[in-house]
Amino acid sequence: MVLCRAPLFAHDMWIEPRPFRPATGEIVSVRLRVGQDLLGDPLPLDPALVNQFVVKDVAGRRPVVRRDGADPAGLVRVATPGLLVIGYGSNPSALELPAPKFDQYLKEEGLDAIAALRARRGNTGATVRELFSRCAKSLVLSGPPSDEPGDRRLGFALELVAERNPYALRVGQDLPVRLTYENRPLAGALVVAMNRSGPSEKLAARTDSEGRVRFRVPPGGMWLIKAVHMVPAPAGASAEWMSFWASLTFEPGAGGSAGR
Amino acid sequence: MTSHSSRRCRVGACLGVLVAALPCGAVVRAHEIGTTRVAVLFQEGRTYGIEIVTDAEALVDKLEAKAGRSPIAETRPARLQSLLTSLDGTFRQRVKVEFGEAEARPEIAYSVAPGSDDMSAPVATVRLTGPIPPGARHFAWTYAWTSSSYAMAVRNAPSENPVTEWLEGGQRSAPIALALAAPAVDRLDTAARYLALGFTHIVPHGLDHMLFVLGIYLLSNRARSVLLQVSAFTVAHSITLGLSLYGLVSVSPRIVEPLIALSIVYVAVENVLLSELRSWRVALVFAFGLLHGMGFAGALEDLGLEHSEFLTALLTFNLGVEAGQLAVIGAAFVLVGWPCAGRVWYRSRVVVPASALIASTAVFWTIERLFP
Repeated sequence: MVLCRAPLFAHDMWIEPRPFRPATGEIVSVRLRVGQDLLGDPLPLDPALVNQFVVKDVAGRRPVVRRDGADPAGLVRVATPGLLVIGYGSNPSALELPAPKFDQYLKEEGLDAIAALRARRGNTGATVRELFSRCAKSLVLSGPPSDEPGDRRLGFALELVAERNPYALRVGQDLPVRLTYENRPLAGALVVAMNRSGPSEKLAARTDSEGRVRFRVPPGGMWLIKAVHMVPAPAGASAEWMSFWASLTFEPGAGGSAGR
Repeated sequence: MTSHSSRRCRVGACLGVLVAALPCGAVVRAHEIGTTRVAVLFQEGRTYGIEIVTDAEALVDKLEAKAGRSPIAETRPARLQSLLTSLDGTFRQRVKVEFGEAEARPEIAYSVAPGSDDMSAPVATVRLTGPIPPGARHFAWTYAWTSSSYAMAVRNAPSENPVTEWLEGGQRSAPIALALAAPAVDRLDTAARYLALGFTHIVPHGLDHMLFVLGIYLLSNRARSVLLQVSAFTVAHSITLGLSLYGLVSVSPRIVEPLIALSIVYVAVENVLLSELRSWRVALVFAFGLLHGMGFAGALEDLGLEHSEFLTALLTFNLGVEAGQLAVIGAAFVLVGWPCAGRVWYRSRVVVPASALIASTAVFWTIERLFP
């Protein structure tokens, strides 16, 4: 029997709220998912890993009600109509990979600059140590969509920001998304978008000089937009590299409060 | 609140294990810890049970995708359970149970229960069971239906504290040594069981064998006659019982069973015609014993033989058969032989009519077995 599967060492992490379109006053389950091609495993909330677990709406920013060790990892009560931005930022986790696997993962995630840097440095070690952090966001809409306000910045190290409200896009309109690293636009980074109804048909683009990409994200099914950024770890760190995994989920066209 | 604090404890325990494991070397987990848990239990070295507890929706989503079907947003436990059951073939593609070099094909049962509270998602429990192949020394496990890290707890007895190994989805476990069940207790248990099975195969279930033994007994009231015939019969049927079970002799029951009936006819008819033991009679009883042994082997195979205790089962079953025969002879002696054997009418009123009755019954059986 062949146990073939998706690449083992590069899993996405995203937030999958239920529902995406809550009524005002409704409680949203904030479910964290880890996996590949939108086939995710529940990620119970590990108190040692949480750095930020917040929700931001017109009224401001507040913590998500945490459920340590459980799935869903947290709960959000929708106080006012409008767009809610839910964010989960993790502390770094250590990862040690055999060098060939690490190189394969750099290729899969489009981290060409790091691959080139490794080649220039002549890195020949058997294993590579890395610290990875999660920067996941999700957009939940209560009430009718409006153009204002859109996504809000949460201040994650690597962050995807939807520059329009994806729930208010009209037919033929693209969604502009901006990628920032340490609050500055990140140029030349690979950003990938995939939809629940066909996760293997991925949309991919590199960010322009302003850190921007545009995707056509038609309604129907959850969208995941993701990007990975890697930098050399600072001197004294227990690893050679630090990676940041940004994700953004939303579900345009999810009707009413029963949407998945 | 209770469930929250118990969860907190569980995470605490997980982290505790993680921290405890770190100094031991390369325990750098590639992935976050998910909600999947696997528990393995070996029962007395005979059977295994593996229980996977995992998120039902996540598992169904992956199975559906693997089967090439579109994702469905199903949350009802009963529906999830029937979906899982229908996707059994797909599930098996990414699960591997190995004993030594061989891959086992377990029985798999799927169940889905609602989450522990209103907020929690339905939980799937997948139970894999089967016999441990004889002589297996090591077990290995691979489960690729999760992308996260999970703990596998292994126990060699229900009362034992589990040994926990952390695995990545898709990662093959290190080979796990199987602790064998204490053979003394096991063997004694098997011996007692097969001794009883052997005895009951004669009394009360084996009327044909009982009549054959009665036939042997009725020929002559001399102890020497009974002893010689019973010994010949015993040695002979022990030989063919053993040879048949080791696969060295194989004769169809369609031949053996009518011949057994015919052997009873012969012994009973000869009882009517003769009153003294002749040497050919002992030789014939030996030959008949060979036939009866094959019949015993068929019966023992139908009962099921434990491979791990093959010889014990064989010997004690045979011993049980001897005990059954001796019980028949003992009963005949106490009821008939001892009070009547000295009487002048013993032969005419007991041996001849009884033998005639046995013979006619056996003739009936012969025909019945020839033309079922």
